Parts: sequence; structure tokens; C-alpha cells
Amino acid sequence: MKRFTKMKCLFALFLLAPLSALAKPSVVATTSDLGSIAREVGGDDVEVTVLARPTQDPHFVDAKPSLVLTLSRAEALLLTGLDLEVGWLPVLITSSRNPKVQRGAPGYLDCSTLVTLLEVPTQKIDRSMGDVHAGGNPHYAKDPRNGALLARGIAERLAQLFPDKAAGFRERATRLEMELKAKLAGWEAALKPFAGTPLITYHRSWIYFTRWTGLREVGQVEPKPGLQPSAGHVAQVLQTVRAEKVPAILQEDWYAASTSELIARNGGAKLLRVPGMPGDRQRYVDYVQQLVDALLSGLKR
Amino acid sequence: MRSTVHGALALGAWLLGAPALAQDAGVPDAGVSLEEIEKALAADAPPPPAPSLPQAIGAVVQSLNPDLSLIADVALAAMPGGERFGAGAHDPARTGFNLQQLELAASAAVDPFFRFNANLVFSKFGVEIEEAYATSTSLPFRLQLRAGQFLTRFGRQNSTHLHAWTFSDAAFALARVFGAEGNRGVGAELSYLAPLPWYVEAVASLTEADGEASARSFMGARELPVRGPADLQLTTALKQFHELSDAWSLAWGLSWASGPASTGYRNRTEVYGADLYLKFRPLGDDPTVVALQLETLHRRRQVPHGVLTDWGGYAQLSWRWTLPWSVAGRYELGTPEIGGAGALDPQWVSARQRVSAAVTYEPTEFSRVRLQAASDFLGWETRPRLSAFLMFEVSVGAHGAHPF
Repeated sequence: MKRFTKMKCLFALFLLAPLSALAKPSVVATTSDLGSIAREVGGDDVEVTVLARPTQDPHFVDAKPSLVLTLSRAEALLLTGLDLEVGWLPVLITSSRNPKVQRGAPGYLDCSTLVTLLEVPTQKIDRSMGDVHAGGNPHYAKDPRNGALLARGIAERLAQLFPDKAAGFRERATRLEMELKAKLAGWEAALKPFAGTPLITYHRSWIYFTRWTGLREVGQVEPKPGLQPSAGHVAQVLQTVRAEKVPAILQEDWYAASTSELIARNGGAKLLRVPGMPGDRQRYVDYVQQLVDALLSGLKR
Repeated sequence: MRSTVHGALALGAWLLGAPALAQDAGVPDAGVSLEEIEKALAADAPPPPAPSLPQAIGAVVQSLNPDLSLIADVALAAMPGGERFGAGAHDPARTGFNLQQLELAASAAVDPFFRFNANLVFSKFGVEIEEAYATSTSLPFRLQLRAGQFLTRFGRQNSTHLHAWTFSDAAFALARVFGAEGNRGVGAELSYLAPLPWYVEAVASLTEADGEASARSFMGARELPVRGPADLQLTTALKQFHELSDAWSLAWGLSWASGPASTGYRNRTEVYGADLYLKFRPLGDDPTVVALQLETLHRRRQVPHGVLTDWGGYAQLSWRWTLPWSVAGRYELGTPEIGGAGALDPQWVSARQRVSAAVTYEPTEFSRVRLQAASDFLGWETRPRLSAFLMFEVSVGAHGAHPF
């Protein structure tokens, strides 16, 4: 009898565990830029979890089983797409056993479909060009104008998934759009004097940002996307920095700094190491502000 | 002549317009003129998409073909002490150049309910189906079904492929218990993800017990008429994962396999396994990855007059201190078989130990060069057998992500 009671308790635990987890619908974002926007749009109506840590290069995330567990409980999955997460996300999705987040399900939102993409190949590509993305450059969230589009697109998808909370999603998205619009004017005015300023970046992950800010990207520390810098390439970049009088090198803090420091030191440039993603619980607007502030501090002589 | 042409054109126009007229003839009078409706329809219609080159490329690339990838492993080997003993089927086996394997991997969604994966391995003398299975994606109650030919999820290394290993050869503990190909078979597997706060997965599979990949413990080359579930290999595993911190991860599992043995009528073999994987990978710009992997197997084989038991296992430690370099060391042990009097196989009476070290250079995720050396202490020989090889691996195409 005692054994039977124990069994009943165990069975109840198995039944209750998922119920407690479903108190609020769970929305999972692969990266914290999408997570930050989703958190703002979702408000108190959803629980947003981010799979990759903000200080982790989203190209190389371990497909930890704990992430499978997170995804197994999700009502929706927001991903960057364009193969940014190809090295870890597909196995998590399949292992999650969750039909709601499988490709093609309403809960699966590839956010690259919400914005206009850059660097969509116009010729046959292969990996001799480095780790290029066949669908286009996936770092679109670094342009705040895309941030507004993402907020709108995410709100619409959440509204479709949870119609009873649609008004809230749309209202919060509109509020974020308005806030971004208001801030854009200030950011653009502050950055205007630096339009056309040459800039070196580490990886081709800033093209949306430099297009918006009007800066001119004249090279990368990486010889090709995903490749470690070679001595010859570093010498070439250094030459560009000197010839073009490049004032700054911009890179995400998950890339090693010593090569960029060497170039900056010898080329008379500043190294700007900035967070590659919004931090835990950081608002998207504050993240863009942080990027703009860092850039302004680096460009002012 | 001109009027004839005009007449023909008018007839053609009337004929082309006839279906539309026929359609409109049945339209009820809505109190609005057709022109007005057409104007409204035209206003609502989306603008025709402007053809662009990216779209043109997208249309060509977009297909329902599976994602394909090819992975080639070749090795230049030196084995001064003679050929390697009891090796995995795709280990470099002799001095000189060895084609370890060419793997063709294909994967795609079958429909909204299943995914399909196939791994075909081409070697110098033929092709083998390493794996070909469908995986369910939408079963209720957090269940997942796999059906087809697959590597069983016994332990940690068995279900993985050569290119995912830290060393370029199979751990001999696995080859000795399951055969040179690792443990696999045609069958079905059901797994369950427990709704607990940490990752707990229970796996059970039933597979055919014959074929090379079940050799040495189960039926091997002998074909067995299957009269009931007892004539199949049953494999169960419990897998757990703990995220100790952002940097530290711990995965461990317990496995058990049971099936008919070829040693005699109704003889059975049971294999018990335990595995542990501890990984340190800090966040940020630190490229360090340190991983400790341990696996142990205990086998009990029924023979006509008793039970043979033995132990085997390995421990390996890998360390990537900078990109793109990493080093690894491995120790392997196989005990002699207790109860193996009058043994035909020297492994039954003497222990075997092997020590290996490897240095890997990995310029990208798609290519890798590895220098590996090993000293194999076979208990029944006076001198260790030494081996060294330089392995080169390249991978092209869209290869799927690997599990943790």
C-alpha cells in the first residue's frame, strides 16, 4: 500500500511539473537581441527565455540538453535564421519533441523574414569564401530600424498564437516603435558628423549598423568570415588603418582582442569592444544607446 | 487582306475573352458595375514582385532535396610493431595511406511528423548503411520514436560518428564488446523526456541482434530466426544532464543491453554501461574547452557451462587552449574474461591497455588535421605495439548539428 502511495506521488509529480511550467506561455528566442525585443513586446503575458548567453558567439553555441528541455516547453521559437544557429539549433528542435516549434509550425518564427536583408548572394557561393551565409547576412538586429520591424513582426506572430492577448502585444510593439523612432532622430543627429568615417570591424557582423550610421567599413580583422586572422592579413589591415586614417576598430566582446589591439596600437586607432548582444534583461533601446555611445566615444578625437 | 487579318484578330480576342464572359454570365447582380469591382480588385491585388537576381538564385536553390554532406577521412599511418589489434572498422589499420571512410550524410523533413537521416559510408571495398532512420517530431507525452537502422544510444560514444570523435579511432572497449562497427541494428527506439527541472531522458530500443555491428557479444554473423522479443537486442539507457554553471556542464548516463548470444541455445549476453562527460567552456572571448569523458562497460556472456564476465573502459581528456589547436590524451583498459578457461581468444586471458595522445589543428569547422600516437600493451605480447598516424578530414555541404 505504501508503495502504491509512493507511485501515486511520483505520477502526480510528473503530471504537475509541466503544468507549473505553463503558468505563462513560454517564448524562446535563440539570441538576446530577439529575446530583448520579445520581452518588451510580450510584457507580462509571456515568459521569454534566451538560449544563447549574451556573451556567447551565437555561431558557436553548445547544443546542451538543458536547452532541449527549455525548447520542449516552448509555445513559440524566435530565431535569427539564415543559418546563424545551424550548428546547434536543428538538433535542439528535433530533440525537443515539441510540435509547436518545428519548422513550419505557427510557433516557429524565422525573424529574418521580417526585415530586408543585406549581402544576399548574387552569385554562386561556396566555403572558399569563408563561412558565408547563403541566405544573406544574419546580423540585421544591429540596425534599430530593423529593431522596430522585428517588434512589429514578433507582436503579430504572438497575436496570432495568443489572440486573447493580441491587443497588448500590438500596443507594446507600437510603444517600442515610437520610442525607437524618437531615439533614432537623436542618434542619427549625433552620428551625422561622422558619416563616411572609415571603420575596421572584426567580423562582417556590423554591415547593418554601419549602413545605418553612414560609416564606411574598409576591412575586417578576419581575412574571411569565420577564419582566424593570419599574419599577412593583419599586416594588410594595418596598412589600411594607416592609409585611410581609420579612427576605430569595432568588435563584439566574444572575439579575442590581442590581434585587434596590435592593429589599433600600431595604426593609431582605438579598439572599441562592445557587447555583441543585449545583456540579460537589458532593453533593446538601451543596447543600441550603448553601441552609439561607444562609437561616439571612439570616433571623437 | 487587311480586313481579313482584323477579322481574325477580333475572332481571336473574342475566343480568348469568351471564358471570362462565360464566368461573368453567372454572376448575380450585386448592384455594382463590373468595372467598379474590377477596379477594387486591382487596387487590392499585391503589386507584382520585381524580379531580382537574389530571388532568381533563391528559386534555383529552393528544392525539396535533402541536405547533403560529404566527409572524407584519410590517414597516413605507421605501425612498426605490426597491424593494430582489434581495431574499429574505420581505424587506420596498416602502415601507409588509409582511406578511413567517406561518409555521405543526408537529412530532411519527411513531412510535418518525421525527419529522416541517412549516413552511408563508402570505404575502399564497398558501401555500408551506417544509419538510415526516421525520427518523430510530434508525438505526444514528450515521446520520440526512431525507426530504421541506427546506432544504439548505449553509452556516449557508440551513437556518434568518426568525425565527431576526439580521437581518430574507436575506443577498443566498444569495438571489443560490440564489434568493429559499434552497436547498431535495424529496429525501433522510443525515448521519453521527463518533465523534471533538469534533463532526464529514458531510451529503450529493440534491434536485430545479428550482423557485424552486434558481433562479439550478440549473434554476430549467425542469423537467428526471430521467434519473439527475446531474440532481439534490447537496449535501455537513462541520460541526465546538469548545467552546473554557464561554463561547466555535466552529462552522465547508465545503459544496459541484453540479447541472444551465439555461444549456445538460449544463451544470452548482457552489457552494463556507465558514462560521464564533464565539460568546461567559459563564455566570452576565452577559446578554452576542456572535456573529460569516461565510459565503462561490464559484459556477462552466458556460455554452455558458465558465464564469462569482463570489464572495459576508457578515460579521455581533451584541452583546446587556443584556436585552432587542441590536445587530448586517452587511457583504455580491457580486463581478461573471468570464467574463460581454455580460451581461444587471447583477450580472454590477458588484460589489454592502450595509451593514446593526439594533437589536432582545426582551421575551420570544416577541416581538421590530427597527429595521433598510441602504445598498445597487449598482455599476451612482450612488447607494446606502437602506432602513429596523421589524419586529415574535410567536410563539405550542409551537415547537421551534433548533439552535446
